Amino acid sequence: MGGLESLGINMPTLLAQVINVAILFGLLYLVAYRPIMRMLDERSRKIKESMENTELIKQHAERAEGEAAKRIEAAGKEGEEVVARAMRTGEEVKKEAQQQSKQEAETLIARAQAEIRRERDEAIGELRKEFADLTVTAAGKVIDRTLDKKAHRQIIDKVLEEASTLKKG
Amino acid sequence: MPEKKGCLGCSFPIVIGVFIVLLVLLVVGFVIGPLGQSMLGIELPSWLSALSVDRPDPHLPAATVFHIFGFPITNSIIGAWITIIFLVGFSYVVTRRMKLIPGRLQAAFEFLIGWLYDLCCSVAGEANGRRFFPVVATIFLFVAFNAWLALLPGFGSIIAHTADGETELIRAANTDINMPLALALVSFIFVEFFGLRTLGVRYLGKFLNFGEFFRGARQLFTGKLKSGLSRLFTGAMTIFTGLLEGLSEFIRIVSLTFRLFGNMTAGEILLLVAAFLIPWLFAIPFYGLELLIGFIQAIIFGGLTLIFLTLAVESHGEEAP
Repeated sequence: MGGLESLGINMPTLLAQVINVAILFGLLYLVAYRPIMRMLDERSRKIKESMENTELIKQHAERAEGEAAKRIEAAGKEGEEVVARAMRTGEEVKKEAQQQSKQEAETLIARAQAEIRRERDEAIGELRKEFADLTVTAAGKVIDRTLDKKAHRQIIDKVLEEASTLKKG
Repeated sequence: MPEKKGCLGCSFPIVIGVFIVLLVLLVVGFVIGPLGQSMLGIELPSWLSALSVDRPDPHLPAATVFHIFGFPITNSIIGAWITIIFLVGFSYVVTRRMKLIPGRLQAAFEFLIGWLYDLCCSVAGEANGRRFFPVVATIFLFVAFNAWLALLPGFGSIIAHTADGETELIRAANTDINMPLALALVSFIFVEFFGLRTLGVRYLGKFLNFGEFFRGARQLFTGKLKSGLSRLFTGAMTIFTGLLEGLSEFIRIVSLTFRLFGNMTAGEILLLVAAFLIPWLFAIPFYGLELLIGFIQAIIFGGLTLIFLTLAVESHGEEAP
């Protein structure tokens, strides 16, 4: 053992150093490895989690975007439909108004024509009566005697009637 | 921003002044040192020669400084205690209030620990790396910080007066062979422990491999002479390699011990001799070298332990009977 002694190996010191290393191992495990490993694990877990969250949020956003686009498209379609319907309705209203005004005008014209005809007939009747009276008076004057007014009148009317039928025929 | 003139953030006159002071220190160190004395032989005034460094007197066994209950406490044990106190204290300060978003100190320490952890995982795999990491990290941290702390003033320069005479109060633990031997023993114990725990009795089969030999003997008795003899021969070979394997486990202790002890002791003696031959500035480059060597020895000791651990838990598939 002389060689080992001169190198400095001795049991008590060796034992003490082994114990020192064991103590260091235990203490470092408590104050360094365990907390730091826990922290590193925790951090990597957090990072993983937030990455997954990001992925999730991205998917959500994509889905929302798609939905929004779909909705916008639907709204656009609906708007177009509304506009088309409004135009159709407008067209209909216009047509109806036109028709109504046409009808009204036609009624007005018809009524005016009837009025005109009636007034003409009236005037003709009046004129005829005047004319008969005038003729009787004139004939009375010509033959200088008073004709039986009533009888004469009948004759004239008859003549006129014939004349008008002749004319018409 | 105004353009900076000068060198290393100082103006030129200051740089030149510092350079001259350093040069003077180097020259005076050379002149008063034994190397300069023997070459130049200049008579020095007594106050100047008193500044020269004493002749180094390295001795391998560590000196006992005092006793606790009859148990001798050597200066290398005190050195180991200082390393332990430093490491544990530093770790405690850093990890006392850990934050998820680390500060600078925490980030630096986490980087060191994380680097060691990644090293373990890359060699031994994820599951085993996690188991081996505390062993490897403890060995690495102790060897490295013991070597680096030993470069500080106070190690080897505080003289204690003991019953056996004057001795250094603190000595780098790795320069006393008991410490490298203790580390190697711890490494050995963990290697065998993990090997046995992972593989069970099969782990011992690596060293005591008689199966092939007995199979050969059985074949010999049943009359299959040719194949029996060949198996007997390979069986004898396996027994021999198993014994060699077992022997190498113990040789590892010796090689780990003497590699660390030799490097650290040589480094210390190198620094002492450099400081003795040309006092003061001359030793500075060697301090840088010793920083590097401390790191390298730590990585070698820790790395070899890691490799031995990995080899121990690897199952060598039993050869087909």
